[in-house]
Amino acid sequence: MAAKVSRRGFLKGSAVAGVSITVSSLPLSAAARLLETPPRPGADWLDSTGQPRYRLDALAKVTGAKTFSRDYRAQNLVDWPAEQSHAFMIHATKADRRFEGVDLSVLDEDLQPDRLVLHEDLVADGIAVPNPDFFGDVFLVPKGETPRLLGQPVALLIYHDFALYDEAKRRLHFEEGAVVYGEKTAYNPPPNYGASRYVRIAGERPEEEDRYSPLKDAVIYGSFQGDEVEWPAAGDKDAVARGMAAAAEIENEMEKAGEGTLLLERNYFSQSIDASAMEADNGNVWYDEKNGVLHLMMATQSPYHVAEVSAKLVAESRFALNSIDLKTGYTVGYGTKDHNIFPFFCVVAGLYGEGRPVRLANDRFEQFQTGLKRHPFWMENRMLVDRKTGKIRAMTGHSRTDGGGRANFSFSVSFVGATAAQSIYYLPKSDFSAKAFASRAVEAGSTRGYGTLQTMSATEMMIDEVAELLDMDAIELRRVNVFKSGMKNTQGAIPGGAMRNEEILDRAAAHPLWVNRHDRKRTFEAEHPGRRYGVGYAHTHKDYGTGAEAAVVSLEFDPEGRLYMRHVAHEMGPGVTTSQAVMAGEILGRVPDETEFAVTEWPQMPLETTDEPYTMSQEEEDRRKRNPRWTPRFTSPMSATNSVYYMGHAVREAARALRDFAFWPAARSLWSRGIGGGVLAPFAVHPEELRLAGGMVNAGGMPSLTFEQVAAEAHRMGLVTGVTVHTFNRWQWAEAEFDIPGHGPMRRPIDALAVKYGRQASEDLKQQMTAGGWHFVERANVSYPPIQRNNAGVTYYAPVATLAEVSVDTASGEVTLLNHHSIMECGRQIVPALVSGQLQGGLAMGIGHALMEYLPLYEDGPGNGTWNWNRYQLPRAKDVAAWSQTAEVLEPLSDSDPPKGIAEVVMIAIVPAIANAIAHATGKRFYELPITPEKIREALS
Amino acid sequence: MTRATKPMSLTVNDRQVGPVAVPEGLMMQDFLHEYLNLTGARMGCGQGICHACTVVVEEEDGTLAEMRTCIVGAHWFEGRRVRTIEGIAERDTDGAVTDLSPVQQAFIEHFSFQCGYCTPGFVIGATVLLDRLQREPVSREDLEEVITEALDKHICRCTGYIRYLEAVRDVALKTPGLVTS
Repeated sequence: MAAKVSRRGFLKGSAVAGVSITVSSLPLSAAARLLETPPRPGADWLDSTGQPRYRLDALAKVTGAKTFSRDYRAQNLVDWPAEQSHAFMIHATKADRRFEGVDLSVLDEDLQPDRLVLHEDLVADGIAVPNPDFFGDVFLVPKGETPRLLGQPVALLIYHDFALYDEAKRRLHFEEGAVVYGEKTAYNPPPNYGASRYVRIAGERPEEEDRYSPLKDAVIYGSFQGDEVEWPAAGDKDAVARGMAAAAEIENEMEKAGEGTLLLERNYFSQSIDASAMEADNGNVWYDEKNGVLHLMMATQSPYHVAEVSAKLVAESRFALNSIDLKTGYTVGYGTKDHNIFPFFCVVAGLYGEGRPVRLANDRFEQFQTGLKRHPFWMENRMLVDRKTGKIRAMTGHSRTDGGGRANFSFSVSFVGATAAQSIYYLPKSDFSAKAFASRAVEAGSTRGYGTLQTMSATEMMIDEVAELLDMDAIELRRVNVFKSGMKNTQGAIPGGAMRNEEILDRAAAHPLWVNRHDRKRTFEAEHPGRRYGVGYAHTHKDYGTGAEAAVVSLEFDPEGRLYMRHVAHEMGPGVTTSQAVMAGEILGRVPDETEFAVTEWPQMPLETTDEPYTMSQEEEDRRKRNPRWTPRFTSPMSATNSVYYMGHAVREAARALRDFAFWPAARSLWSRGIGGGVLAPFAVHPEELRLAGGMVNAGGMPSLTFEQVAAEAHRMGLVTGVTVHTFNRWQWAEAEFDIPGHGPMRRPIDALAVKYGRQASEDLKQQMTAGGWHFVERANVSYPPIQRNNAGVTYYAPVATLAEVSVDTASGEVTLLNHHSIMECGRQIVPALVSGQLQGGLAMGIGHALMEYLPLYEDGPGNGTWNWNRYQLPRAKDVAAWSQTAEVLEPLSDSDPPKGIAEVVMIAIVPAIANAIAHATGKRFYELPITPEKIREALS
Repeated sequence: MTRATKPMSLTVNDRQVGPVAVPEGLMMQDFLHEYLNLTGARMGCGQGICHACTVVVEEEDGTLAEMRTCIVGAHWFEGRRVRTIEGIAERDTDGAVTDLSPVQQAFIEHFSFQCGYCTPGFVIGATVLLDRLQREPVSREDLEEVITEALDKHICRCTGYIRYLEAVRDVALKTPGLVTS
């Protein structure tokens, strides 16, 4: 494993020479047609406060239009053959026996598949798993070998008739005899995935230079000897050795800490869960052999990756390939459709479709059996606290996770968890390690929270117990230790912007749920014999982004003032399309008249990328960046809470550029008309006084102009009337200088720029518009954040705190969530209704994690194919305190606060808040999630 | 050779369908998806647990009932009048939506859904609930509980139910005759 790895950063780009790739979002045309009927985006889309009246995709979704990838059949896809074939897979449910073959004798002759595909067929046809270090070494279990993991497919069955497919699939469901096993063997998991360690010792004071930190020095990587991790030796020969010496120093201090300190040691467990996205994994693939085109309709959060890897898969096989045409519908996965293997099973199915499109769509049993899971974490934490002040002197946390039988992002999840374990506290000394193990379990991957829910929940339960042991108010103890602006995190990096956790603590401490908790406990328990009452608090903040965020956006207007936005992002549910359009409107004073998302054709951005943003050496990057057409990455998956801030940054920069290069000079021109410099001359009007709002252009008392008037003037003057930007962020933004004709060189937080000039621009300017009708303005003096910045782990945080009020039935052990209140800071909200919906949804998921959801890992777990929502309990409307829950959002510090990504953090604080509330209610602490009635009954018996 | 089929006729979204030869064991959900190209009733669990797949059955007395299509065979619907999510809004002759139902309008105004996969089920469930309240109004103080009870069987994973429930309460309160004071 390379030393420089970061979140979701293992995969190298795999562009295949000679294969063209097109990725597009299919529902747009259908949605656009629907949206053309009133109510539609435009003047009537926004209310008087500038807020959208509904999501851009609302009408399509509420009327049952085809929106999800799953909704599409071959007949719905333009230029595809109408005949649809259907496929399903048979899965191994034993991982300690050799696979000998399949027995389909339970199927009548007419129910036999039109095509049966086994591993040996794939070998014969040159089909291998691309990126085997990530996706595992085989698609289907080879004959004579023991499956790597439970639920691993052994055979693919393709039917040309739906009714026969349907009948055959039902017959084979739960039919154990269908898989023929041979002799018993040892388990056969792949090698373990990785071990990492983040050690930090601060200087004397938080603002001083660290004595040791990952950012300043090194992240430490361990190596596996079997199931044991060997860490490097301590010493002073290099940064890693010094890091191990620092870890030993912290250990020593903990061992020797005497009176006056509290050393709390606790072990925690967070369980494996299934994210249970309502849309199960699915794809539809048509291989057009004659033209060498692979057409895909795929449910994925990472379409570009799917297209690239599919190209590699097919190009290396016997199947000819000239181009890939990937379409996506809407989809939802909470991270589980990001870099999962399922799309490539769909590709394999398509290759054997005998010219017909093949649809492979999991039912819920199959989804439990094969879908990516949230990682179970076992955590051993120690916290050393000064008894008098409550200050944390040091904290260590050593976690291990079971990533199951395919590597996927397990290593990355493990260390992202480690880097989050500090929660909202400043730790002068810390040592967090993470070990990611392989096993026969269904693989875990990029599931909402990405390791941080597990580690932060543990820390938040721990701090609550420390407060109890020190007889301190739990919020006061947090205040004593809270992480403040400008402090360094456990990686030694200073997070960006203001950390406003203290304000949240103040609000929580004053909230009636907290203030009155002791009185209410007495009253409630007197009124409800047999029930105990408790209130718990927890407070977390979570990073957003991946450390390699790239986006591309264009904004342009025509002489009539119609505004067009084209965007690389696609919709996953949280409202990306809505919020990106609103963000453009905030700067330009009106939302785009037309929007296009999931755009893949960017002729105006002739960029080259190696797409190795995490693994490239500094030297190599320094060399490559001299090429003004090189960028570390072209675009990112839609995941990791990245849309509003990172994708939004590109929109905001494009809009600002249009404002500066078009609207200001054009408005000035109009105001300057006439003798003596017109209405402008007697006034001193500055660019910063320009106001674009409500479709009007104003500045410093000048007569109001309409957007259309100024747009027409910009075209008449031949100003910039279109802007395309490309952005890159490695925990800070890449910047570069651009020499825009008429404006001179200026520095912007983007790494590539193309502009379009107005209709009446000079011939000189027009001649420069050679990149798809745009002028690609070559950058100068680009600065990319240094590669070492990867070690920062994270620098963008958003916090959420939750107060949970519960009652516990002492006889049944049932927990009733009576109420909860959340406090969030997310910068400036773009669409508060979307933010609030995210919060409410995240809270519901957290409630499930805290109280209900649980999957065994192995033989009795989801790999056995018997799991569905009948036995896997999900939170329902009755479980979420639907009518009583409340929330508040801190006002932004100013109207220029950027929005912060909150899609993951919203679900975390509720988990430890509930655990702490149960501890308050029962007087017992629970260290293993979920806290089920059985565990409570046992503890209270 | 194909499996045994039986002719089947029904009315879907006011349109007469059939007689069409339908396999005896086919679930209604698959009939809608694969035979009628109506994919709005969504496959969630296939076990009747999540209610993403429901449709309205219009009874002869004019009342509405909610039916799961993933565990009910297509032939059960023989001769019945079925309304799927695609048939809830008003449409013109080209199929373009011209008017949303009150429940649909409330859901979009409340930003009730994110991914929208469960939305058809919630529209159907709420539509049937409101139909029931026409005949059996509830008192204002019972309203929230009645709504929670009626929609509790529907699973939503994105927005935590709140905005669905609040939207339905809005419609119930705005529609004369559903809530007694």
